[in-house]
Amino acid sequence: MTTITATIAAPFRSKAGSGIHAGGLIGYGAIWAFMVLFLIYPLLHLFYDTFTTDAGEFTLLHFQDFFTDRYYLKALMNSLLLGVGTVITTSIIGITFAFLLLRYEFPGRGIFSYLSILPMIMPPLVGVMGFVFILGRAGTVNTLLMDYLGFSKPVNFMYGIQGVLLVETLHLFPLMTLSLVDAMGKISPSLDEAAESVGSRGLRKFWDITFPLTTPGYVSGALLVFIWTFADFATPLVVGVDDLLASQAYLNIVQFVDRRLFKMGIVISAIMVILAILFLIVAKKYVAIKDYSSLSYSVIERRKLSSAARVGVMLFLGLILILAFIPYLGIALDSFGKGWALTPFPVNYTLQYFERVAFETPKFIINSLLYAGISVLICIAVGVPLAWVGARTKLPGREFLDSMTTLILALPGTGIGIAYMRAFRDPLPYFDMAFIGMWIVIPVVLGVRRLPYTVRGTFASLQIVHKSFEEAGESVGATKMTTFKDITLPLIWKGVLVGSLYSFILALQEASATLLLVVPGHEMMTVGIFNFYIGGSVNEAAALGLILIVLGAVCLFVINRVAGTKMGGVFG
Amino acid sequence: MKRAVVLLSLVAFALLGVALGFAQAPAIENELYLITPVSKDVHDPMLKAFAAWAKKKYNVDVKTSAIPKGTPVAYGQILEWKGRPQADVFWGGEGTLFDALAAEGLLDQVQLPKAMWDAIPATIGKPVSLPLKDPKKFWVGTTLEPYGIIYQPKLLKRLGVEIKTWNDLLNPKLKDQIAQCTPDRSSSSHASYEVILQTYGWEKGWEWLTKLAANTGIFTARSRDVPSMVAKGEFAVGFAVPSYMAFAEVLGGYDVNFVYPKDAYVTPEPMAVLKGAPHAKAGQAFIEFCLSEEGQLLLSGLGVYPITPGLKVKGPAGSNQEKAVAFTGGMRSFFEAEIGNVYNDKIAGEKKRIEDVNSYFRKEIAEKHKDIVK
Repeated sequence: MTTITATIAAPFRSKAGSGIHAGGLIGYGAIWAFMVLFLIYPLLHLFYDTFTTDAGEFTLLHFQDFFTDRYYLKALMNSLLLGVGTVITTSIIGITFAFLLLRYEFPGRGIFSYLSILPMIMPPLVGVMGFVFILGRAGTVNTLLMDYLGFSKPVNFMYGIQGVLLVETLHLFPLMTLSLVDAMGKISPSLDEAAESVGSRGLRKFWDITFPLTTPGYVSGALLVFIWTFADFATPLVVGVDDLLASQAYLNIVQFVDRRLFKMGIVISAIMVILAILFLIVAKKYVAIKDYSSLSYSVIERRKLSSAARVGVMLFLGLILILAFIPYLGIALDSFGKGWALTPFPVNYTLQYFERVAFETPKFIINSLLYAGISVLICIAVGVPLAWVGARTKLPGREFLDSMTTLILALPGTGIGIAYMRAFRDPLPYFDMAFIGMWIVIPVVLGVRRLPYTVRGTFASLQIVHKSFEEAGESVGATKMTTFKDITLPLIWKGVLVGSLYSFILALQEASATLLLVVPGHEMMTVGIFNFYIGGSVNEAAALGLILIVLGAVCLFVINRVAGTKMGGVFG
Repeated sequence: MKRAVVLLSLVAFALLGVALGFAQAPAIENELYLITPVSKDVHDPMLKAFAAWAKKKYNVDVKTSAIPKGTPVAYGQILEWKGRPQADVFWGGEGTLFDALAAEGLLDQVQLPKAMWDAIPATIGKPVSLPLKDPKKFWVGTTLEPYGIIYQPKLLKRLGVEIKTWNDLLNPKLKDQIAQCTPDRSSSSHASYEVILQTYGWEKGWEWLTKLAANTGIFTARSRDVPSMVAKGEFAVGFAVPSYMAFAEVLGGYDVNFVYPKDAYVTPEPMAVLKGAPHAKAGQAFIEFCLSEEGQLLLSGLGVYPITPGLKVKGPAGSNQEKAVAFTGGMRSFFEAEIGNVYNDKIAGEKKRIEDVNSYFRKEIAEKHKDIVK
């Protein structure tokens, strides 16, 4: 599998530019039309709004407003610092995990590697809720400290920037681990041996050989962690942190009363999009000159550890994982516990919340599965051909398409949501209704946001399938279509499946663009969680969250069985 | 001649068909969407009961749904829809925002049987009277409840604090213990800020509110978070909480108490049908249902009070109605005793005043909160 970085570095290495006939070109045109209509146009509209007054005249005043407002500048600064902070903490945990899981043999390695990806399966809002149940001022830990250890005041783990950092770190370190496992898995052992033959060992070897070779994987992981933290507004809002860029964008946009603030919300999201593009360009520049990794995975010989070291490793991994699983515990307890307050664990248990969210109003679950399902169909319909064009043709514009797919990964969901709100608000001809008033907008925006995973999964498998297989098929007279069906598809279906499953899980969990775009009467689970939460029905939110987590864990389990641990490339 | 008879009978049949068609057309649409700051605790049971009521009365299966939004946010959303709303009915908050929407031409007039309209008093409260319905009929109040203080008894005991009045909130022992929403996101917060500002005057009022901010541990994203956090024990006290939200926590199994301080804002939870609503008839029917005796009785079991003097909150022992009465200090109707009010909607409703309050709050309290706490 490949990483963004591999693709950034050598965008779509194509192997042949053979003739493509009209049908193919129409298909290619359709992909372009899709990308232009549902990605480029809304983003351009967002920028248009940012640079014009309500009357439609060009202005830079909004930017001036932003950059002369001390509070917004502070929010920008805080967001950047939080992003960097999260990159540092996730690096420490992620690198250690990747290194231990890949290079050493110890009991339970397989289980640890599955468990270490799980924390990623955490819908926005649900994670922070779970943490508050356990680590909040009245959470399990503080209750124990105060009731049994004589603390007079609760320890403030959660309310403040430290809480956001904690939640993001334990949620996102798997992204780092996956990217690194992918990159490290591709280092040729011969380089290792070469280093050792000249006497380089241990840390020295790590610093001189391993680290530079994994840099591209690391940078792409770091970029994703950074952007994710940068764009998350749900977590800070729950712990009362308003002075972040994403929180300000959300708060300003959803409060339409003050038109200036509303406009500032649009401007802030445009600034977030611009920053995301900038980060991406910087990362691309840096990575482009440093990609030495080979395309195939190498077989790594795992070292045995001494028994003391083995215990140490397992304790370390266990401890981090226990921390990372705190929110699952909190969510599970709260979804069954009734009237849980100021006791370490709930006193009364009930199934009523599950009854309410799963049986009384099953629409959340049904809509979620339906919309995520449609969005995956979109991902496959657009993404598989797109990856094929990139891997197998030299069509003009394919590199641009590749950059667009990479850009999607870096775009903050709030930004896309607001861009859609602005771009598709006028009634469509013949429909007497705006596009954002129809439920289909949700699967479309999900399809766009989760497209990269399908593209990357497919592209990576296509690279492994040698062109000569297909040529062999064609040499005996098979058409391109037949070749694709009989030769290519059977060889790449795993990659497509893994990519699509990732698109599916992440579409199920999306809750930034969709929260802004949800059409009344067509709410999905993530919106349900949000609505229950802000509607004061925290238990119902937890129950729905738990169902969503279980769905995600099942998908991840399937991925794990299909692809083993080598699936980081979809993210990176 | 023969031809004329055929033609005539054809016309007659056609007319009959049209007439039958009219007769069979359902009286209301089969969908209804609310946009509302009134939380799920109340709007959910009301929508369910409405669906049953509509089935009985009109034989229509109405599919209902609510878009939960804070009042200012809902107001902004309705403006943004520009007369092509995705919801039918706007329910809850301060009447002043409804007046503003009516002035923009974004509301339809309420159509109610005359007796029902007349049963609702025009105003409530002394020395300042607060309108319960719009004389121009663009909105009508649906129920009554105060915006007061919620607290966690176990935590207050631990802190050694008692709360009876607004001023008790300024006790230094409550440092970091108060949860509140911001006036620009929640109308319960906004109205309560106005109560303080109109009690003490602009400058003294803000001084008071700054002291409140010094004791505030969190400004929540939505007003409904405030009672949830207090119920859970994360914070000891919540400011500007609608009584029914506090009561909903009690029904949910949590241990919380409520204080109805002097001159607290009493909301009539206004309701209006949006102009251009996709299901306007269903919207009008929903208003009628809410004000019917059945609707008012249902509401009285959810921790809010009837808007008509004729009805009192009463139920069999152990019923939710009786629990609600005990929870709000034994009161059975807002028309039993004199209701204190200092909130003047003429002052608070000015567009400029709303902006001034919000921007003062943002500049002087929200943005400086970290320094104020120190």
